[in-house]
Amino acid sequence: MKHEPLLLLGTAIVWSVLAVVYALAPGLGMPGYARVWGAGAIVFLILAAVLVGAARRRT
Amino acid sequence: MALARSGAVSFLSDTPYRILTLHGTTAFFYWLYSAQAALLIILAVGETRAGIALRTSAWIGAILIVAGFVLSELSAFEGTPLLYDANPELGIDDPHVVAGMAGGYLLLAAGLVGISISGIATTLIGARASTEGFSALGFGLFALAGFLIVSAIAAVNAFLPNLLWALGYASFPKDATTEWHILFHNLHYLPLMATVLVWYALARSLTGARSITGASFSKIVFASYLVFVPPTSLYHMFLEPNLPDSVRVAGSLLSLFVSVPTLIAFLIIVTSLEVHARANGATGLFGWLRRLPWANPVMANMGVAMLTMLIGLVFAFVLIQEKLAPLLSDTVFVPGYFHFFAVGTITQTFLAAMMVALPAISGRPLWRPNVLSIMPWIVLVGLLLFGAGGIVAGFLGVPRRVMDIDYDGAAPALWHTFMALLGAGGVLFAAGLSVSLYGVARSLVPSRRPTPTTAEQGAAWAMTGATSAPAWTGPIAIVTLIVAMYGATIIAFELMQALPVAASGSGASGH
Repeated sequence: MKHEPLLLLGTAIVWSVLAVVYALAPGLGMPGYARVWGAGAIVFLILAAVLVGAARRRT
Repeated sequence: MALARSGAVSFLSDTPYRILTLHGTTAFFYWLYSAQAALLIILAVGETRAGIALRTSAWIGAILIVAGFVLSELSAFEGTPLLYDANPELGIDDPHVVAGMAGGYLLLAAGLVGISISGIATTLIGARASTEGFSALGFGLFALAGFLIVSAIAAVNAFLPNLLWALGYASFPKDATTEWHILFHNLHYLPLMATVLVWYALARSLTGARSITGASFSKIVFASYLVFVPPTSLYHMFLEPNLPDSVRVAGSLLSLFVSVPTLIAFLIIVTSLEVHARANGATGLFGWLRRLPWANPVMANMGVAMLTMLIGLVFAFVLIQEKLAPLLSDTVFVPGYFHFFAVGTITQTFLAAMMVALPAISGRPLWRPNVLSIMPWIVLVGLLLFGAGGIVAGFLGVPRRVMDIDYDGAAPALWHTFMALLGAGGVLFAAGLSVSLYGVARSLVPSRRPTPTTAEQGAAWAMTGATSAPAWTGPIAIVTLIVAMYGATIIAFELMQALPVAASGSGASGH
């Protein structure tokens, strides 16, 4: 489980950037998108942390 | 519904809209998501060879989904028909039905979280037990479970304000349409991720063929679903009249990436099958396809599912273009094309998985495999008629969700011809699908005498590894798809320019 946390971390970064863009970009006016993608980023961060924790327990 | 749209049967008052609401609620929400939740657990258990982890969480999730189903269906059956998006604007005079449908969907969301947590824990058991960690499928299921949780969050974002308003605890949710689009985007693509995971598992189960690109690349492809899907969501907003032009351009460009993960996964699976077939003596450009176990209904369902996905993609790319979306989104083009995905691709894939899993669980052999192996082809013919009728009728301007399209005799006669085609196709694919569903449901009855399942009727290929022979079918399919997409787009533009119509976004509906 070396690469899987990185894949999830990459996902969380993309989703975080999107959430920030939706929250701050003028003219978009879609706060719901910021909420959902931001919450999604947190979910994938947690899952990445779960994998890192599982890998540490294995070693 | 297809017969009603074709004019073959007629209903009184709001009955067709009630049927449409029940149809969308049942099929799009409860069938597709109950099936995904079930397959998440089944595939995770099959992959890890262990039992279900956090079983209580899975049971609570299942009970919540059943409770949500009952609440949503009763509300749709008794109250004002809101259609499956439970639009509060349609229920402004009947808030209790908004509360019922939103409450049902929130219970479904909570249930999906419960089952996803169990799925995550189950896949982790397998990863911990193996020296190599996650298998490709195990990681794909882990990611799918995460995506299910995000979709549940999107459902809370969409439906909780509606529920609070309907119960008198909040003001009217004026952004309900926008919030629905976020959820809708997730709901669209999550089943496609589940579909390719099932294909990945079934290809191995039926033939023993493993991915030629290796587990690491497969994991990247599965993760790419998570990366690609959110940025491509803007095209759902094309009907919003106040959307800035810059956002329309960005949305149009990003929408082109939406099928990238599905097509890469398709390419890997088809090429892996071809390479292994050729290693086992298959010859000719497409001769290897004859080596696949088509007599097995699992293979027939999966093969037709792949075919309908390619057909559906051609027209999906027509619809999501910024210039065409406002012209086509409120026409019968939309149901014409999306049944290729909802029925042909996703439902048949899920049925294929259940044809393997349920007989294995119950010990009862699959009901009449020879009959069930024919049904996907009947469904395909039905979908081609339904799709041709709906897509052409949509190009000609036949509105979506309007039962009487006669307009006091002013409607073009051609409208009725294509809608009759849609009706005939709908009856045909519904009949074929019903037989398949019956066959799967029969497997739920436990047998006292365990017998071999259809999963064992696969291709007897020796797994000799890769061959140096080229495998062209996958790339040819992708090139054909791209050419067809360009062709359909050109035809769509020509047809739409020839029509004496002007369109502007209403913002009131989405596809």
